Amino acid sequence: MFQSFRLSMTWVHTWFGLVLGYVLMVAFFFGSLSVFDREIDRWTIPETRFPAQPMPSFDAMLKPIFERLQPEEEELEEARARVGGPLPDAKPVMNWSVYTTHRDPVLELYAEFAITNNPKDPDDHVHGHATIDPRSGRLLPNDPLKVGSEFFYPMHYSLHLEWMELGYWIVGFAALVMLAALVSGVVMHRRIFRELFTFRPKKQEQRSVLDLHNLTGVVALPFHFVFALSGLTIFAGVYLPVDETMLKPQAQAHAMQEAKARGLAFRPAGVPAPLASVDAMVAEAKRRWAARGMPGEVGFLWVHHVGDANSYVSIYRAGSDRVTLVGQAVHFAGPTGRVIFEEPPPTAVSGINDFLTGLHLQHFRHWLLRWFYVLGGLAGCACIATGFIFFVEKRKRQHAAQGVSGARWVDAMAVTTVTGMLIAALAILVANRVLPAGLAHRGEWEKAAFWGAWLLAFAHALWRTSPVRQARLAPAWAEQCWAITTLGVAAVLLNWITTGDHLLRTIGNRYWPVAGVDLFILASAALAALAAAKLVRRGREVPAAVASGEDSPTGDVEPAAPQAARVAS
Amino acid sequence: MILFAALACSAVGLAWLALAMDVHWQQVRGPQSPARSAVTLLRVLGALALAASLVLCLVADHLSMAPLVWVMSLAGGALLVAFALAWKPRLLAPLVAWLPARGGPAD
Repeated sequence: MFQSFRLSMTWVHTWFGLVLGYVLMVAFFFGSLSVFDREIDRWTIPETRFPAQPMPSFDAMLKPIFERLQPEEEELEEARARVGGPLPDAKPVMNWSVYTTHRDPVLELYAEFAITNNPKDPDDHVHGHATIDPRSGRLLPNDPLKVGSEFFYPMHYSLHLEWMELGYWIVGFAALVMLAALVSGVVMHRRIFRELFTFRPKKQEQRSVLDLHNLTGVVALPFHFVFALSGLTIFAGVYLPVDETMLKPQAQAHAMQEAKARGLAFRPAGVPAPLASVDAMVAEAKRRWAARGMPGEVGFLWVHHVGDANSYVSIYRAGSDRVTLVGQAVHFAGPTGRVIFEEPPPTAVSGINDFLTGLHLQHFRHWLLRWFYVLGGLAGCACIATGFIFFVEKRKRQHAAQGVSGARWVDAMAVTTVTGMLIAALAILVANRVLPAGLAHRGEWEKAAFWGAWLLAFAHALWRTSPVRQARLAPAWAEQCWAITTLGVAAVLLNWITTGDHLLRTIGNRYWPVAGVDLFILASAALAALAAAKLVRRGREVPAAVASGEDSPTGDVEPAAPQAARVAS
Repeated sequence: MILFAALACSAVGLAWLALAMDVHWQQVRGPQSPARSAVTLLRVLGALALAASLVLCLVADHLSMAPLVWVMSLAGGALLVAFALAWKPRLLAPLVAWLPARGGPAD
């Protein structure tokens, strides 16, 4: 089919990269933002702008709150539909859990309540959750949308396409294609080491765009490869759900076996029993961690079979100083507080799996490495964006001569996914600061602002890329860059006006979550302005340049790409 | 602080490796190629600096974290060197100021 292996690899790289590149762009950009999801949450929910807190006392503070927790009304609605009738009044609590990291000022509490009258599923249950201020135990409203961790972060792996888990599949397929694109890219690239540092911004734009594509692709190659791979392993359960389908009985048996081996009860005994002091268990767990040479804080605490004689409490160590997430669990008998089982160090296989998961989900305390992740993500964005631009630049003259509009459509989609995505991300932040506080379904309106802005950006991109059909530079790029600048400055000003937290104050107080987001937005706005100004200048030069057979527009579109991803942090 | 030293080692090490190549040497020092002995020295120095960077990372962090920081510092350093070579190549001149160029013209 192809004359050589290299040509066939080029075909794969070009076409799969083009089609899935749009998805990868979204995954990379929102992944980069997710590195600082908690910080974006602080920006969007000003009531929670206070320093991170350790896990508070369970006995004194958390237990009474857990006891008052109720199932979510929405979930009850769905459960009624599953059962096909009313639910019993008593919805026994199955378990309680609470999770925190070194970046969380507020604490989220989760509970599962059994639905006992579903004949089809004896394990049917619904959830309840609460957000508290761990300094006082005060309940915070659950409603505000956590833009970082509940919107940007799920966007990264599911595109918010929940129907049939379609989003997970698309992103998963894109990750697979990413691996293929990396391998085929390495095959196509003849001089990886000789040209590792090569970037020639003054050469003609096809060359300099390709240089930048190679540069950002190659220097962050280990990052790209490991993140695409670990992303796939994290969701292996979604992509290969054998535990839920073919092998469900075996998986169940395995879980029971494992619980038995640890002396942990898989099912409640049905006999009520009180819960011993969990604070004492926490103290014992900390003592054991210290004895193993790894003193630490509680990251995750889980009470199973609440109120039952078989209840047990699992206490996991926060992995702030490790790559792996929580670990080193110690399990205690609920009624007595006696240690049942202390998890041994993980086996090699699960150790590797934990490492890959932890490396990707990064809950560790290491600000430099966090920023490096952002850098890797943005390098990915730049790599993809320059790929699009190269595609357009290579073909636009030929397409213009033939009268086909392929390059124009690719350019329009590229504008939408590069600058349009930034506009959408800034729009949700602006909406978050502008919408009235008491508005019903405020979070839904914020999401509407995001999707609406993106749709507008798409329409604008379609309209303002028509010059590509005459092989000219699309004005859409520069115009959307200006929109980014305007929205970015507006977001920072609005944050000041509505909360009083201007940069001098946040930096003065060393309150980096908000100061960092503000600075990041301003940096993106400045870069966008720079890119826009250059683009406009190039746009004016181009008609003459085309006539004389020279060119250069997109060499400078490029700055839009790295900056593209820099919107928030 | 140790980490910043590690970052500096990565960047400088990569710059030396880059300058061991004719093209980049010429961007910094003009039309002449580096002397052969200088090329070897730059490669050795570059490799040593990268190794020093890894050691510093291992001193600063837990064993599981250090390689990640190191690999990413290489990515960051390579971008830095590439951009410096593209826009302000003279900035790298002090790194090779003491090394001789070859007598004849390049290539």
